[in-house]
Amino acid sequence: MKKEIVGFSINGQLRDVIITPNMTLAEFLREQLDLTGAKKGCEVGECGSCTVLVDGKPVLSCSTLAIAVRDKAILTIEGLAQGGQLHPLQQAFIDHGAIQCGFCTPGTILTAKATLDENPKPTREDVKEALGGNLCRCTGYVKIIDAVMAAAETMRQGGVK
Amino acid sequence: MKAFEYFEPKTVAEATKHLSDYGETARILAGGVDLIPRMRKEEFKADCVVNIQRIPGLDRIDYNGSIGLQFGAMATLHALETSRQVRKGYPAFYQAVRQIASVQAKYMGTAVGNLCVGTPASDVATALYALGAVLSISGPEGDRTEAIDQFCTDYRCTSLRRGEVVAGVSVPPMKAGEGCAFANLVRSRADIAKLTVAVSITAEKDVCRDVRIAIGSAAPTVFRASKAEDALMGRALKAQTIDEAAEIASGETRPITDLRSTAEYRKEMTRVLVRRALEKALAAAKG
Repeated sequence: MKKEIVGFSINGQLRDVIITPNMTLAEFLREQLDLTGAKKGCEVGECGSCTVLVDGKPVLSCSTLAIAVRDKAILTIEGLAQGGQLHPLQQAFIDHGAIQCGFCTPGTILTAKATLDENPKPTREDVKEALGGNLCRCTGYVKIIDAVMAAAETMRQGGVK
Repeated sequence: MKAFEYFEPKTVAEATKHLSDYGETARILAGGVDLIPRMRKEEFKADCVVNIQRIPGLDRIDYNGSIGLQFGAMATLHALETSRQVRKGYPAFYQAVRQIASVQAKYMGTAVGNLCVGTPASDVATALYALGAVLSISGPEGDRTEAIDQFCTDYRCTSLRRGEVVAGVSVPPMKAGEGCAFANLVRSRADIAKLTVAVSITAEKDVCRDVRIAIGSAAPTVFRASKAEDALMGRALKAQTIDEAAEIASGETRPITDLRSTAEYRKEMTRVLVRRALEKALAAAKG
């Protein structure tokens, strides 16, 4: 099996990395790049805690080969804040107590981001549907939905709160 | 995950060649939702992974009134769910895709990949059985087509031969007077179904002219309840006829008891879901 040096675009930065085909995107991000925001939860694609955005779409990094997405734009939770300013979703999660243990939070926020990018004015029902693939064992979801609705409002008013 | 040779063919013919070379230890990577976790768990030997994501045109979704719906092996569940033609033209298929909880799985996963897994618990396959889908298969000996109910041969087994790949699926157009419906029972939205039923029925002045009843999670494969279909063909579609057909369908199941349900419950609920699906499809057929 070949090892390859590949130019990867991660969080807006192009990085030359060495990958082998049998590396999942989750392993690659966490173990090669120390980007540990994406979690290895169930590792069978059920829990959503490994979610990252690939070309803006929510993807399960535990079930994706890193090599298969080598020329796509990868966004992890580490790349969401811009210039020291938290993304409205991150701020809203803090403000609404939507984080408890925090394990599911990176995946949930990134799925929510993809949702709001596609549908800036969701209903609560839309948000519930959109987060159907992200399990949270702490919050009971109500505060997460509150936070996403609040972030949507902030983003409609121009981004920063 | 164990090491493997990795290929990204640019054509179906090239994919077929790699698959032929490696035979049974070659795996096709489409969405990866099923494949990658199972490879990591070493559920099977994979010496070679053929990633078909970069073959141009495989993500197509086309519709025309005479041929019907056609989609390629890389058409994702998300793309199918958001296709106007799927939503308007094939409500049973749309609903089967729509009710899948994981948005990520829908962005990554493909309908063809779902069929090729060969699980009897596939909502997507059950809907496509009811709609009479036909698979286009390419292989070293050329192309062939196969009806979906011939494709799934046993639990997690398909009719695919060495080197073959399912390039796409076509679903015939809905006829005048045809209606379809989908119904399933789940413990929670995120879980796979304990029982799935999809039906299509064509009625002319309340007489059944054509019918397909598909059942998932009640036998080693998704299957058509052909005796129940025979009991409806040419008959006036009265409540009693529908009840009888549902009872027959229940008798055609070979369910197992597992953590989701007992066999007895699946059998009993088959009767209920088939009746409800037939009633709903008939209402749709009447427009």
